[in-house]
Amino acid sequence: MQPADIDALIDDRPQDGAFRVHADVFRRQDIFELEMKHIFEGGWVFVGFEFQIPNPHDFLTTRIGRQPVIVSRDANGQIHGLINSCRHRGAVVCEAISGNRKTHVCPYHAWAYDSAGRNITVPNEGEAAYTAEFARHDHGLRRVGRIESYRGFIFASLNPNVVPLAEHLGDTRVFFDLAVDQSPDGLELVPGTVTYTFDGNWKMQIENSADAYHFVPTHVSYLQILGRRKPSKPDDTRVSFRRTYLERDLERGSFTFPYGHNALWGANENPELRAIYVDRDKVEARVGAERFKWMLYTRNLLVFPNFQLLETSGLQVRINRPLAPNKTEITTYCVAPKGESKIARVRRLRQYEEFYNPSGLATPDDMAIFDACQTGQSSEWVDWHQGYLRGIGQMTRGANAAAKKLGVETETSVATTAAMGDETIFHSQYRAWRAMLKSALGASGNRPQLAGRAAE
Amino acid sequence: MTPAEALAAAADVIHRDALYLDERRWDEWLALYHDDAEFWVPAWRNENEPTADVESEISLVYLSSREQLAERVARVKGGRSPASSPLPRTAHAVSNLTATPGDGEREIAAQAVIATHIYDVRRRETHLFFGRAEFRLVRVGADWKIRRKKIVLMNDYLSTIVDFYTV
Repeated sequence: MQPADIDALIDDRPQDGAFRVHADVFRRQDIFELEMKHIFEGGWVFVGFEFQIPNPHDFLTTRIGRQPVIVSRDANGQIHGLINSCRHRGAVVCEAISGNRKTHVCPYHAWAYDSAGRNITVPNEGEAAYTAEFARHDHGLRRVGRIESYRGFIFASLNPNVVPLAEHLGDTRVFFDLAVDQSPDGLELVPGTVTYTFDGNWKMQIENSADAYHFVPTHVSYLQILGRRKPSKPDDTRVSFRRTYLERDLERGSFTFPYGHNALWGANENPELRAIYVDRDKVEARVGAERFKWMLYTRNLLVFPNFQLLETSGLQVRINRPLAPNKTEITTYCVAPKGESKIARVRRLRQYEEFYNPSGLATPDDMAIFDACQTGQSSEWVDWHQGYLRGIGQMTRGANAAAKKLGVETETSVATTAAMGDETIFHSQYRAWRAMLKSALGASGNRPQLAGRAAE
Repeated sequence: MTPAEALAAAADVIHRDALYLDERRWDEWLALYHDDAEFWVPAWRNENEPTADVESEISLVYLSSREQLAERVARVKGGRSPASSPLPRTAHAVSNLTATPGDGEREIAAQAVIATHIYDVRRRETHLFFGRAEFRLVRVGADWKIRRKKIVLMNDYLSTIVDFYTV
C-alpha cells in the first residue's frame, strides 16, 4: 500500500466544502492492520489511572493494541510501562487484573522481575552452562517507548518517537481539568469496571459519541421513558425530562484539536439533576462560576484514538480497543469526585448505569446501530458516506467566542444547535488518521515515523 | 411452612418468571413482582468478587421498583429501541433450586443457577449468559411476589445486550 491509497479513502476538499469518508476505512483488513500497528501500537493511547496504583509495587495490566502490558509503580513511586511477556519464552508474566507485587514471577520457568521490570532471577542460572553470550543480553522486561501522565490519566506509546504527552493532549487538557477539579481531592475510580464488545469498527464508537445528530432518533425510546417520568423530587436519583433536548436556547458547540481530538459539548437540559449539583455551593465557590457552568455542561471529549472522557450522566472514561475490522472491545470506568456526598454518589451511580451501561437504556441502542452500520456496508457496492458535512457552513477556523471564553485553542469550532448535529467535528480525527498512516507508509524500513503528527 | 412447601412455592414463581420472559408475556411477568421489587445485576470488582454495595459501586442493572421494570417493558413493547427490535428469542433455564422459609409464613429466600440462551435473529447468532440467581419472595394476600431478584452474571465480558429479558 502507498500513501496515495490512504488519500484515496478521504475525500477532503475544504475549498469545495467537501468531506467524504469511504466505507473501506470501516471494513478492510489491510487498513485495520495498519491502524493497529501505526495508530494503536505506534502512538499515544490511554493505559490506566494513577489512582488505580497509588502505592509502591501496585500494578495493573492492560493492552496497548494487541500487546499485553503491565503498568507498575516501583519502590520509589515511579510508573513503568512494561511489556507483559517473559524474556525467556514469551509467556504472559502477570495474569492478574491489578494488585500489589514486589516481584512478578513467570509461571512457566519462574524467571522473576521486580516492580521496575528488572530481571532479578533466572532460576538455576549457575547450573545452566550458559556462555558469555547469555550475559550480553538484558533479561529485564521490555519497556514501552514512552509513558507519561496528565492529572492522574496515564498514557503510553510503544513507539518512543512521539511528541511529549503535553503537546499531544494540547488544550484538551482543559477538559481533563473540568473533571478532575470537581473535587479538591481529584477523582477516584468507582468499583465495577464493565467490558463489552460490539460488532462494528472501532471508529463508529468514537464518532457516535461526538454525533449529536443521532441522539434523538437512535435514543427515542430512552427519551420517551424520561418524558413519562413524573418531575423529580429533590432526592430522586434518576433523570426525568423537564426540558426538551431540542430546546434551541441552550448553548452548544463542538471543538476540534490537533492530533485528531475533539469535544462535543452543550448546556445541560436538567443541570439540577446532576450529581455535582448536590454539592454545588462548595464546588462553585472553589472553581468560579464560569468553570462550574462548564462542569455542569454535557462534555464528550475524544483523545484520539482510544480515550473518551464523557460527562453526560456522570463521568465515564470509555476505552476502545479494536479486535478486528468489525469487532471492538470497550472498557468503561465510572470515575467520580472524591469526597462527594452520599446522595450525590447514589444519583451519579443510577444515572451512569441507566445511560452508559451496555445493560442500560441508551448504549444498547448504539451497539445495535454499530452492528447495523457494519452489516450495511459489507460490500464494495457501498462506497462514499455522506455523513461528514453537517455544520460545515458555520465552521470557524480556530477558536470561536465560546472557546476563547473557556480558554482553549482549537483547530476548528462550531456553535451548534441540537438540531444541527455538527459533523465537521469528525474531520480532524480523519486528518490525523490519514497523516499517521501515510507517514508510516512513507517511512523507510519498518519503524513508524513520528506518530500522531497532524496533517496541517 | 415446611422446607418442602417453601421449595414448591419458590419453584412455581421462579419457573413462571422464566416462562413469561421466554413467551414475552410481559404483563404477567411484571405482575410477579412486588411494587418495591429490587432487580439487581452486580458488576465485578475484580476476578473474584462481584460488586456488593449499590450505593458505592457500579451495577450492570440496579432497579428498585416495579415501576422501573415497567419502563424497561414499555421500551421492549414500544418497538422504537434498535436494541430490542427485533427481540432475540430466549430460553431461560433454571436449576439447582434451593429455598428456605423465613420470617414466619411471609418470606422465602431461594437460590438457583440460571443459564439464559439467547438467539439473535438478526445476525443468526447464539449467546449464553449464566450465573447464580437469588430471590426473595414475600407473601401478598394469597400470592407470592418477587421482592428481590439478584443475578450474579459469571460471564461479564459482554458480547450481546444485557437486559431483564436476557439474564
